[in-house]
Amino acid sequence: MGRILKIVVVCMGAAGLLGGCYRAPNDVQLHKPGVYEGPRDPLLAVEKEPQQQKRLQERFQLVQTDR
Amino acid sequence: MARMKFLCDAERCIECNGCTVACKNANEVPWGVNRRRVITLKDGEPGEKSISVACMHCTDAPCAAVCPVDCFYTTADGIVLHDKDLCIGCGYCFYACPFGAPQYPKESAFGVRGKMDKCTFCAGGPLPDNSDAEYKEYGSNRIAQGKLPACAEMCATKALLAGDGDLVADIYRKRVLKRGGRPKTWGWETAYPS
Amino acid sequence: MKLIRKPDSMTPVQGSHSPATGDESATGVDRRTFLRRSGLTLGGAALANMLPLGMMRKARAVDITRKAGVKMEHKRSICSHCAVGCGVIAGVQNGVWTDQEPDFESPINLGSHCAKGASVREIGSGGKRVRYPMKLTDGKWKRISWDQAINEIGDQLLNIREKSGPDAVFWAGSSKASNEGSYLQRKFAAFWGTNNMDHQARICHSTTVAGVANTWGYGAMTNSFNDMHNSKAMLFVGSNAAEAHPVAMQHILRGKENGAQMIVVDPRFTRTAAHADQYIRLRPGSDVPFMWGLLWHIFENGWEDKEYIRQRVYGMDEIRQEVKKWDPKTVQDVTGVPEADMYQCAKTMAENRPGTIVWCMGGTQHHIGNNNTRAYCVFQLALGNIGVSGGGANIFRGHDNVQGATDIGPNSHTLPGYYGLSEGAWKHWARVWDVDYEWLKGRFDMTKKYDAGGGKQAYTMNIPGIPVSRWIDGILVEQGNVQQKDNFHAIFFQGHAVNSQTRGVEMTKALEKVDLVVVSDPHPTVLGVMGNRKNNTYLLPTCTQFETYGSVTASNRTIQWREQVIEPLFESKPDHEILYLMAKKLGFADQMFKHIKVTNNQPLIEDILREVNRGTWTIGYTGQSPERLKLHAKHRGTFNTTTLRAEGGPVDGDYYGLPWPCWGTPELKHPGTPILYDPSQPVADGGLTFRARFGVEHNGVSLLADGVYSKGSDIKDGYPEFTADMLKQLGWWDELTPDEQKQAAGRNWKTDLSGGIQRVAIKHGCAPFGNAKARTVVWQFPDPVPVHREPLYTGRYDLVSKYPTYEDHKALWRLPTLYASVQAKDYSKEYPLVFISGRIVEYEGGGEETRSNKWLAELQPYMYVEINPADANDRGIRDGDWVWLDGPGRDTNNPGPAVPSHIKVKAMVTPRVGRGVIWTPFHFGGWYEGQDLLDRYPKDTAPYVRGEACNTATTYGYDPVTQMQETKATLCQIKRA
Repeated sequence: MGRILKIVVVCMGAAGLLGGCYRAPNDVQLHKPGVYEGPRDPLLAVEKEPQQQKRLQERFQLVQTDR
Repeated sequence: MARMKFLCDAERCIECNGCTVACKNANEVPWGVNRRRVITLKDGEPGEKSISVACMHCTDAPCAAVCPVDCFYTTADGIVLHDKDLCIGCGYCFYACPFGAPQYPKESAFGVRGKMDKCTFCAGGPLPDNSDAEYKEYGSNRIAQGKLPACAEMCATKALLAGDGDLVADIYRKRVLKRGGRPKTWGWETAYPS
Repeated sequence: MKLIRKPDSMTPVQGSHSPATGDESATGVDRRTFLRRSGLTLGGAALANMLPLGMMRKARAVDITRKAGVKMEHKRSICSHCAVGCGVIAGVQNGVWTDQEPDFESPINLGSHCAKGASVREIGSGGKRVRYPMKLTDGKWKRISWDQAINEIGDQLLNIREKSGPDAVFWAGSSKASNEGSYLQRKFAAFWGTNNMDHQARICHSTTVAGVANTWGYGAMTNSFNDMHNSKAMLFVGSNAAEAHPVAMQHILRGKENGAQMIVVDPRFTRTAAHADQYIRLRPGSDVPFMWGLLWHIFENGWEDKEYIRQRVYGMDEIRQEVKKWDPKTVQDVTGVPEADMYQCAKTMAENRPGTIVWCMGGTQHHIGNNNTRAYCVFQLALGNIGVSGGGANIFRGHDNVQGATDIGPNSHTLPGYYGLSEGAWKHWARVWDVDYEWLKGRFDMTKKYDAGGGKQAYTMNIPGIPVSRWIDGILVEQGNVQQKDNFHAIFFQGHAVNSQTRGVEMTKALEKVDLVVVSDPHPTVLGVMGNRKNNTYLLPTCTQFETYGSVTASNRTIQWREQVIEPLFESKPDHEILYLMAKKLGFADQMFKHIKVTNNQPLIEDILREVNRGTWTIGYTGQSPERLKLHAKHRGTFNTTTLRAEGGPVDGDYYGLPWPCWGTPELKHPGTPILYDPSQPVADGGLTFRARFGVEHNGVSLLADGVYSKGSDIKDGYPEFTADMLKQLGWWDELTPDEQKQAAGRNWKTDLSGGIQRVAIKHGCAPFGNAKARTVVWQFPDPVPVHREPLYTGRYDLVSKYPTYEDHKALWRLPTLYASVQAKDYSKEYPLVFISGRIVEYEGGGEETRSNKWLAELQPYMYVEINPADANDRGIRDGDWVWLDGPGRDTNNPGPAVPSHIKVKAMVTPRVGRGVIWTPFHFGGWYEGQDLLDRYPKDTAPYVRGEACNTATTYGYDPVTQMQETKATLCQIKRA
């Protein structure tokens, strides 16, 4: 009886200690080769705007040509 | 969608270092780091040619291909950027880059190689556009303001061009046509000695 | 393996980077590779005084980092580094200069910059600036207040004035001051009572101004950088535009793309030569034989423009006589250029017209500089290239406002506007300044007359002052031999370096002898630390042009308006405020600022420009009012980039910056004159004729133009300059208003303060200054027809007997000036290398400001000497070695053993220079004979980069017409250190 209790206590203690090693599935960052996992650059959204391309083209003509 | 490209017209480049300093000015690049450099061939001799080099923003970027932590990303118009937070400073992108664009500023006075720094086409990095944090880590984000890289906008002779690859090619083509039968591309004199 | 990554806090990118060091010396090493391999590890531990920038920033500079979310204002200024005049857009947040944008609307630079222009924002950090007035006491720099500084300096100057007369102070003004600042500098000297006030033009293009003005009327760039788009040929003699005027290369290369042939003539294969179609290596000092050698081919083949010469040129036959002596063989012997190259060059220029000629220091800095400049002009006249678009004599000026300072600023030989120093000139300006002429006269030393040269005696008021090339002689020459009451006891330098003048060893002696030294500059400059002075040197912190506003004249005579970017940093003050405070202390401020409003010790800039407008009729600085200039700046985007003419917009029809001459009053709205001497345009539209400056006839031949006149001119032939009498003769007098008639009575186009004479002349399509021929013979000069003379220190001593220099002068510009006695000794055996110097793109002028700019300093950390591989091998010198460069010092003021000079520099072995020629940049300073003078600088003001000043090792030699120094041809020896 006492031995079973000891075993249960030891198992519970081990379980308690091991609890600290628990990792939720979404805590880990999986490495996918060739895929960027950093924060998303707000510039990417700006680029999608139709006027952005036009803006840059106009700027180019304004500043870098031999006008 | 345009592809952003640099082109340095070696016929017009006079090695004035305006581009080098414009970059330092716009991006507060520290002493010892030169995102852009001017390379001169045959210095002091007939046939001397100079060309300004920085990151070429490759379509199939070797730096991105070899990075062990994949800190690189490419924007839709072809600008290759990276996240300094993910960067581990291993230097492998420096091996891979044919142009030597990646550089490593020291983090402390003891010379430990730090995070990789390179030309961003004046497009900053993954932090909020033109915030103080982005400016401190990556320099200016002129693209987000509708402007083009400072180096090309300030080139003394308009040798260095940066922008939509088609527009850049257009200008260069026109110049080549204008120069007509007097090309001075490097090596021409070998084929056609005067 | 699962990689766990959490973003950590990023430390900012800072510190330094160790570039790859290699040991192999490959060929084709470029300047930067060379410097990296010299062992310099940029930043970090290597150089004791270069801390990583993060640490630097905390020390003393203004933090110029941009801040998000803070309102940004944009101000437009003009780069302060060179005379191209590139626009600068400065972004300012809370009074801090945090952003710089390209000024793409500017028709001059279209947004472009060179390294220096791209770096100007750094000036706003002020890291190395002199922050407050300082005084040297027992070898230590002490901080003092402005009041104390002005009072002590003023008291000493008044003392010196009483004991030794007003001429005992030498004042150096500045080509870097604005038009208003430099004009005040000249006015200040006049009210102090001396002509001993000079500036950088003396040692830059003084020979150009004298030579060219005496050829056809004005001594300035005739066309413009933009106009070079229209050239069919370009001849560069002694000009390295790629490094000295980089943005001008934009226009030059556009011209080249339009089909222009480019020829570069230079002892070095420069970066400009790298773009040339033909490169000619020239022996230093042989410019006249070269030009005459070209003309030999021109005349031989009948390529000259005979009609043009007949109508617009006097004296070409005398030139032909001289040119006959320069056959190809002789030319090859003297210049080193073979016949085929000469023929090719002449043919290119003849077959591709209009062609332009460009020359800079390579041509001007010789003791026969005035001969060189006139030879260039004569060549262009022979080809008919003057007064046409695409042609011209395109003289690229140096500092940002050297043109303006030359026009209206501190010149020792003239009052503003080239009026000279005659009684008439003083009376004119006395009227403009609204001061009594007798009172003004009384400010000068009127006790005795002195030797004015040419056998004449005059008061010092009418004798050109000692120029900045010779101030050391004003201190060192025996008192009896200086043509004024006493030697200099004080020198006051406002915006002028000293390491750009020759004879540094003697300069050191002069500095140890003179009583008082005042340096009014943003930085201490070499003047602050040179010599072994222990006491009585003052540093007055003066702000840059970005910390004030005003107008500035670019090389092409365009005047641009600068807005103020930031407030003066620390305790610095602008030039005009310092001059006001000094004038107040010295007792003449009320008279000097009579018509200039002063608020809080600040003279009003617009009032100063208006005074200039009221008085400078000779060169047409009268139409460029502050209002018109500001309007041009605002609408600069409307100007065509080739013609520089506004197309539409509020300033439609004007030429950008109203290039002088802009005739008449601002109300006349003259558009400015973009191309000088072009008769194809009406004068009212910017056209012009050659000036009738030298009389109407000489030796029985008419000097007036023959059958050539401006479009729309009522007088269809040559005519003299306009006077009131001439108007009466022509029957045009009544076209003047009664007011104008009152002021113009008995006067001429230069002295009529109403502008009426000019207005009426132009109304009839005539140029106010006449319509004459250009003259190729200047009978008042030592060499009426330009001839060749060997440099005083020449490597070809065998040629001296055939082409000797002048005789010694007892008094030239108030000083004994030696020629033959210097050339009498042959130095070429002991000092076999021809020593020339010049510019590099990263630095400017004396270099103190640019070497204190961290972005520029990084690019050029070492002073060096370029040496040909053959010469290097002869001496066992390898690339990157330290060497001693020895100059044949000669104490020219005291007979005795020579005191040779030595400077320690790094060797750059390169084929850029030919065998027997070596070259150094001249921008360095802060070392003396191998010793770093760092300790002599006040704390935290030493530039990042210091090095030997090449002029420590340069020698004696001065042009007799302008006292230009002979820096482009001297001798030296080099040996391994």
